[in-house]
Amino acid sequence: MPPSQLKRLKATLRAEGITGAQPSKKIRKKAGNGTGNDRRVQRTTALQNIREQFNPFEVTALGRGREKFQVTTNKTLSGRGLKGRPGVTKSLGEENRKNTLLLEMQRRKKVGGIIDRRFGENDPTMTPEERMLERFTKEKQKRYRNGAVFDLEDGEEEDQLTHFGQTLSFDNGKAIDDFEEGDLELLDEDDRSSDGGLNKRKRGQSPGLENGNDGDDGNELPERKKSKAEVMKEVIAKSKFHKFERQQARDADEELREDLDKELPNLLGLLRGGNLPPPSIPDLMSAKVDGSGMNPARAAMMISTDKAQADKQYDMRLREMALDRRSKPTERTKTEEEKAEEEARRLQELEEERLRRMRGEVSDGEEELDATEGNGIGGDDEEADVENFGLGPGISGWKQQKGLDIEDEDEFVIDDDLVANDSDGSVETESEMSVLSEDDEDREFLEGLALDHEANGGGSRSAISSAKRTGSEDGPNPTLAYTFPCPQTHKELLETVKGVAFKDLPTVVRRIRTLYHPKLHNGNKEKLEQFSTALVEHLAYLADQPDHPPFLILESLIRHVHSLAKTYPENISRAFRSHLKSIHENRPLAPTAADLVILTAIGSIFPTSDHFHKVVTPAILSMARYLGQSPPTSLSDLAVGAYLGTMCLQVCFGCFPDVSCARLMLTDYLQYQRLSKRYVPEVMNYVLNALCILAPARLRVVPGNFPYHEPASPLRLQNAVAGHVHCLRFWDILPQELPDGEKSRLKAALIETHVTLIDSAAELWAGKSAFYEVFEPAFKVLQFLAGKECRKWLPSGTKEKIGMTSEKLQRLLKQARLSRRPLALHYHRPLAIRTSIPKFEDSYNPDKHYDPDRERAEVGRLRAEYKRERKGALRELRKDANFIARELLREKKEKDQEYEKKYKRLVAEIQGEEGHERKEYEREKRLRRGKR
Amino acid sequence: MLDPSTPSKKRKRGDNTGPCKLDSKTADDNNAQSRILQLESQILESRRYYNNIATLLLISRGDDPQNGEKVAAAVSLCRVFCRLLANGGMLVTTGAADAEAMVVRWLNERYDDYSKVLLTMLKEPNISQGTALTLLMRLVKDEGNRPKAGQERLFPRKLYSRILRVVLEAQCTSEAREELVRKYINRYDDIRIHTMAIIYELATEGHPLEVLQAFISNTLSVLSSTQVTPPSKDDIDKFYATPTENRSQLSSITAYKKQAQQAWLALFKLGLSKEQRKIILGLISSKIAPCFVKPELLMDFLTDSLNFGGSMSLLALSGLFYLIQEKNLDYPMFYQKLYIMLDASIMHSRHRSRFFRLLDTFLASTHLPAALVASFIKKLSRLSLQAPPAGIVVVVPWIYNLLKRHPTCTFMIHREIHEKDRSEQLRGEVMNDPFDFDEEDPVKTDAISSSLWEIQMLQAHYHPNVATLARIISEQFTKHSYNTEDFLDHSYATMLDMELSKDIKKPPVVESEIPEKIFTGYCKEAVQDDPLIVKMWDFT
Repeated sequence: MPPSQLKRLKATLRAEGITGAQPSKKIRKKAGNGTGNDRRVQRTTALQNIREQFNPFEVTALGRGREKFQVTTNKTLSGRGLKGRPGVTKSLGEENRKNTLLLEMQRRKKVGGIIDRRFGENDPTMTPEERMLERFTKEKQKRYRNGAVFDLEDGEEEDQLTHFGQTLSFDNGKAIDDFEEGDLELLDEDDRSSDGGLNKRKRGQSPGLENGNDGDDGNELPERKKSKAEVMKEVIAKSKFHKFERQQARDADEELREDLDKELPNLLGLLRGGNLPPPSIPDLMSAKVDGSGMNPARAAMMISTDKAQADKQYDMRLREMALDRRSKPTERTKTEEEKAEEEARRLQELEEERLRRMRGEVSDGEEELDATEGNGIGGDDEEADVENFGLGPGISGWKQQKGLDIEDEDEFVIDDDLVANDSDGSVETESEMSVLSEDDEDREFLEGLALDHEANGGGSRSAISSAKRTGSEDGPNPTLAYTFPCPQTHKELLETVKGVAFKDLPTVVRRIRTLYHPKLHNGNKEKLEQFSTALVEHLAYLADQPDHPPFLILESLIRHVHSLAKTYPENISRAFRSHLKSIHENRPLAPTAADLVILTAIGSIFPTSDHFHKVVTPAILSMARYLGQSPPTSLSDLAVGAYLGTMCLQVCFGCFPDVSCARLMLTDYLQYQRLSKRYVPEVMNYVLNALCILAPARLRVVPGNFPYHEPASPLRLQNAVAGHVHCLRFWDILPQELPDGEKSRLKAALIETHVTLIDSAAELWAGKSAFYEVFEPAFKVLQFLAGKECRKWLPSGTKEKIGMTSEKLQRLLKQARLSRRPLALHYHRPLAIRTSIPKFEDSYNPDKHYDPDRERAEVGRLRAEYKRERKGALRELRKDANFIARELLREKKEKDQEYEKKYKRLVAEIQGEEGHERKEYEREKRLRRGKR
Repeated sequence: MLDPSTPSKKRKRGDNTGPCKLDSKTADDNNAQSRILQLESQILESRRYYNNIATLLLISRGDDPQNGEKVAAAVSLCRVFCRLLANGGMLVTTGAADAEAMVVRWLNERYDDYSKVLLTMLKEPNISQGTALTLLMRLVKDEGNRPKAGQERLFPRKLYSRILRVVLEAQCTSEAREELVRKYINRYDDIRIHTMAIIYELATEGHPLEVLQAFISNTLSVLSSTQVTPPSKDDIDKFYATPTENRSQLSSITAYKKQAQQAWLALFKLGLSKEQRKIILGLISSKIAPCFVKPELLMDFLTDSLNFGGSMSLLALSGLFYLIQEKNLDYPMFYQKLYIMLDASIMHSRHRSRFFRLLDTFLASTHLPAALVASFIKKLSRLSLQAPPAGIVVVVPWIYNLLKRHPTCTFMIHREIHEKDRSEQLRGEVMNDPFDFDEEDPVKTDAISSSLWEIQMLQAHYHPNVATLARIISEQFTKHSYNTEDFLDHSYATMLDMELSKDIKKPPVVESEIPEKIFTGYCKEAVQDDPLIVKMWDFT
């Protein structure tokens, strides 16, 4: 059985050394050098500990389940929150409430009242002395804050009582400013007025007094030690003086500036190189009269009676100033090398741009945008595209809205683009491009103009000059008009050029372009835009004319279109596209000469190496469509096919060769793989088919996989053709009746052309990985043509050509096989396998929510917080209510007690009185009895 | 005893013939009409005037095809016979007098004559054809529904088969045939089943060569435009000429199916032309196979077609697929056949998308040997070298899907040579494609040790979208699969349409320098780098 509480307490107290024998002095000394105070503190803490130890109600272990073990968290060890002190917290809360809630309660239903804002009134910690000190400093500060620090008149002075401006202080007999005012007055009399503040007080003083002072100062009190007030005054006076001086200096500056201002107009006149008329007399006069710092010209204007004219003049002047050219340092004339370098840099930039487009990296920001919105789901997300992205070819879309399909195939393209590049760069370079082209255009145009004035154009490389040359060669028709209306439609254009010879057409176009140069008039830009559209139409129209216009004219027209396209790319492209559309809708498999010319023009005007181009892509698609879908049935068909095949190859070469050659010369140090070299299956199919059906003998086994169409009427070369065959003429594309000899000649020419096509195609696609598969059948066909079955019919030139081509093919085929290696396309970084194993947390807490969904986690956290807060608030409110109830009860009790006291007092009083009265009565009675 | 609907129909018919007659209106005609009417009314009045029938027959047999009289006479004769049939005037009653029997026999002979007249009218391609058909079918109906007396009532099979024969053997009478199908065969269940049975009979009995072609094509068109058999027993409720007591025999779907099957099979046995076969193949899975009791019987036909090659095999494939899928048909060497079908024409064929749909299904299994799948991939990629863009667009995602499904085949796009000596050995040596293009067995082509150089080449295709699509093969294979359906239906037209329908958003780039030579050029001297056009063409 443990000892009783009391015994334990005693034992503990003794152990702590609080009771029982006090330690001897020696020990105490040894134990600590600490003072008595130190010991006292020790004692109190010890007592506190003991008290806590023996009061089991002071501390509670917190609720069950709150106990934490080390396995779950480290918090257990800190001991925080292990023990609760309900007593302490309760009393704290109570105290808090007393300070806030109770006060509120007491102030309830009370209006107004005085709030004591004095210092320290409610602060019991302050001693009365401290309180007073504090009040004093506050008051001082307040005054200081209110008084203007920068007042010339010192606040102190103003506070002083004066009589007629004389201080009523008594510390010195004559409290007069000992500052010599006279100096100031001497400096500048006029300024007195401006310095009103200072003089106002002075004026109040009598002049006599002032004078008297002057005399007094020096003589009477030379050695007297100055009082503090005097020193202060001196200092103040000095500062005032300095201030005044500063003001003076400023005024002087102002004056000087005004003087200079007056001379400014003259200077301006000089600067403008005498543009201005010399200031008119009224100007000068007014300048004199006014005398103010106003600009004389402006003043004159204000004076001049004719207000309207002044306005006008002002406007004019303003405009002049706006248009005034800032002088710039002139650029140094560049040396030849520098020029070449610059040109090279420009070309290099262009080339880089082109290459980027070729790789399909040009992200037309807009296009992307439009694609994504066009098809809600867009190509923006991996998930979203699962259905649509590849669907590119929007089959479903096509089915739904028949015919006109909005294929999202290029969304596909865009999708890749999104990954690959930044649009900013391209935009920037784009603008650069346009600037460049603008410059080009200007230069070229001017050149054209210059040439126009000259009688004979020199051999410049620019388009217009060459166009000019066309004219000059034949000599422009002197009767040709010099001015034309700017045709807005093709009809108007036809009207305009009616009666103009073919050869004068370029001249007409040039004159129109000169007349309506956009810089000459506002509306010219729109006019030329329309005109360029009409010009494209006219190009097609010309090519379809029965009397074939010379290609020189067509060519120079194309050049005109090209140079217009640099300025108005949109209109020209639209015109070309509408032509392509009409081909597509009306005659996909029967192109006319006009279509061929237009296609050629497209091939030369637009960069054909672009991965995607709004004009070139449909153009090449239409060409391929013809080649792929229309089996040749006549010689003219074959000629068309050959022409389109040539065009295709040329287009797929990547860029117009002679442009590229010009560029190569300057940029050959850049090791670019420059040309796109796109593959067109249709060309090979067509060419091989054509050779098979033209061949003098029939192939027993058609090699390769190209579709072979035997025409209804045989087109085989059946007559021997001797001699040399010249190349195909453009107009062979038209169906025509030919005598037999001519026919075989044409056939031979066709064979030769197609063989040449194979040749150039082989050259073009030489590096491709499947070169062998593509050209092996071609090689077989060529061998067959060179074989003895066909040999005898072919002209010698053709035979030679075939031999050369097949040799070349053989070489290339061998090379292709040599360079062939297994594909290794997937050197990608291996993708991480998507894992579903949860992430391992180092310090995992089961109470915490590791929600991968950020939003949900956020919401959860908020909800928990809300719950906690709500609980807390409820608890607080409950406690408040308890407190209020308790307080009310206490008040009531107090009141009751008071009442009781009062009642008792009253009763006692009455009783006392009654007792007294009774005694009186008894006494009276006794007296009366006694009397009786 | 009269059918209540008869008078109204009769009037209608009279109206119909009216305008016809008035077309060639003359006084004579009017007289003739009234005479015919008179004769008819006399016949109906009394048996005494039965001889008028002969007169009317004579008129209706008239030579002039445009003659309105002829039609009028036929119509009135029809009325007469219908009435006779209805009131039993043409039945031999037992125990009747000889004279009576004579009359009946005579009447029956005339009836025969009459039907022959109508049949010849049906043969002739003129306006009266439709009328003749209507009249004949009317007779069929009345004959089927004539009052029962002694002998059993039956569907007038004999008459109907004669009609059918005429219709089917006719050279160029599509109107009557269409009408027959539209108004009778598709509308009445009994007519349909009898048609099938009769077609079978006719087809088996053999025809002279000159009629055969017409017969085949007519039969094909009749059969193909005939509706599918009724879905359930309860739907068989429309009868034309079958008497009520016999109807129960017809109300079985199997019977219908059996007849249809017989008819089709009989048709298959006749020498079908290529086009006809194609038509049939197109119908097989939708129309023919469902109405077969034993679809297996189609197998021979399908196999023959499949072996035919070309587009025929493509078409046969869908029928075969139906059988494989529905009837669990085991087709030996199927994949080999399928592989052979991948020839040069497939990428240019009109049935390309159809074929690829099926091909996708056939190769959907992941249990196929990799060598076989590789062969398909390689062959198609080889073919796509010569294909139009629309074809390439189909092939590439399909290859992607297959590669994804058969990871073993990815060696075709990525093969590293690990052994050092091997790569040493390869250096400076010719490498041939291990793939054997002409091998017919897909397991033996060794395609799996080849590489898809063709697809790599197509990455430089002229059409930007195709090129980009081809690039998926060399990108990382992150996508699960492409929906091949999206890529199937394309053509030059749709691609062009798509390109041209997009509006220009921002000004297209223009070549910055104007080339010196477009057609001819100014410097006459030829330069190495002249454009091809300038080099190869003469612009004068």
